[in-house]
Amino acid sequence: MTCDAVRKLIPLYFYGELTPDEEDQAEAHIHECAACARQIEAARALAGALDRRRMEVPAALLAGCREDLAAAVRSAAAEPARQPWRLWLEAAGATLAGFTRWPQPVGAAVLIALGFAAGFVAPRLVPGGSSVSTASLTPSEGVFVNVRSVQPDNSGRVRVAYDETRRREFSGGIDDPVIQRLVLAGAQEEGDPGVRVESVGLLKERAGSGEVRDALMNALLHDSNAGVRLKALEGLKPLAADPPVRGALSQALEFDDNDAVRMQAVDLLTLRRDEAIVGMLQNLVQKEDNGYVRSKCAKALKEMNASIGTF
Amino acid sequence: MQDAAGTAGAQVNSEVDSLVRAAQRGDQDAFERLVRAYDQSVLRLATNLLRSPEDARDVYQEAFLRVYRNLHAFRFDCSFHTWLYRIVTNICLDQLRKRKVRKEESAVVETSEGALDRTEVFEELSAAANPERVTWNRQLGQRIDEAIEELTPRERMVFELRHYQGLRLRNIGEILGTSEEAAKNCFFRATQKMRTLLGDLV
Repeated sequence: MTCDAVRKLIPLYFYGELTPDEEDQAEAHIHECAACARQIEAARALAGALDRRRMEVPAALLAGCREDLAAAVRSAAAEPARQPWRLWLEAAGATLAGFTRWPQPVGAAVLIALGFAAGFVAPRLVPGGSSVSTASLTPSEGVFVNVRSVQPDNSGRVRVAYDETRRREFSGGIDDPVIQRLVLAGAQEEGDPGVRVESVGLLKERAGSGEVRDALMNALLHDSNAGVRLKALEGLKPLAADPPVRGALSQALEFDDNDAVRMQAVDLLTLRRDEAIVGMLQNLVQKEDNGYVRSKCAKALKEMNASIGTF
Repeated sequence: MQDAAGTAGAQVNSEVDSLVRAAQRGDQDAFERLVRAYDQSVLRLATNLLRSPEDARDVYQEAFLRVYRNLHAFRFDCSFHTWLYRIVTNICLDQLRKRKVRKEESAVVETSEGALDRTEVFEELSAAANPERVTWNRQLGQRIDEAIEELTPRERMVFELRHYQGLRLRNIGEILGTSEEAAKNCFFRATQKMRTLLGDLV
């Protein structure tokens, strides 16, 4: 190895970042070459000087940060539920309760609304229920139960309390308000991504309504299934100028792990000039793995005459 | 768990993963424990890199709020540490770039005793806790600060993470969304620049 080649390796050698092979070669040379050995000493001296510049964190700063964060988290947690679907479900439940005259309280009606739209009720924990399990008893076709409590008594008999859900069908045009409620609930059906894809696909035609827009944004940000997220993006396309939608698109672009979702999100975000996203675009030009997203970001920056980045 | 960022044992990882899962389910206590497992190293990074306690405080707040809001989207495709550091380094890089843009930003703060250099105030604060600091050669310190200012934000970040935070370049590449090779090159450029600017001092 020549001195020149070794000099290039010295910083990495000093920090123990060479491959074992490179390290062996560098070491062999350094043993023989006093000039290169002095370079290692210089690296050590520089590191020592830089170490003295290390800033300690005052304990009061850490304590202050923790307090601020706790307060911010408390107020974030106190915000009205960030998942609007809870509200729709309640609305859906209320609508259905009136519509079908269920005698159950609202909580149970919500459960039924879900099952009604999706075709089944997933087992779920209910606060206060001492034991919860789901058994598919079939006293008749299409009835599902959630067992709430099981109490054996001394005589060998068992007392079981359960909620019963019956599968129903309802058909109507997409403009029918009941169908719309059901489809909104379907967009949140936890158990079956197929139901969510279909529901979000129907909703995307009606993104003009605030409720539907929220449902689509919610699906984009929270759905675990990329197909559902893509459908939601299609629906949000006509609303790509809307600030809350842009917020959701930015989040998807920054955090979604699916390439197709990020590609679609960057397309929608860059449909129009927006100085507010320059920082994010510059960032993505540097760190985004997907070439399409990267080049799209660079192109948008160029159109806005913003610098592509500083490194 | 003192500081999970400094240890990479499998046991720590699984402990962290279960905290993350609990926090994803809305367990506030788990979220707080998660924060406390990492917040000292995050604050150390931000303080040392930005040389300003106010900015470090902002980074801390923004980073952990982003974690709070986006934790549901974390899918364990990298370690939580890497994910968190992606957020933190992004925020810090934004800060560094903004500073580079508006060079007019002055480090001078007005106090009742007149204008004081912000970093000097801070150094004096830390000096109280560490008497050796009092003998710190301010001129050398200033030269080093100037040399570091010459680095690009990304070089500065890579150097900070390797030299001061002790992370491996492979991990740094992962955090910054680039290859180990690119991180090595960036680190090499940073050390070369500093050698050139500070060579006469060492």
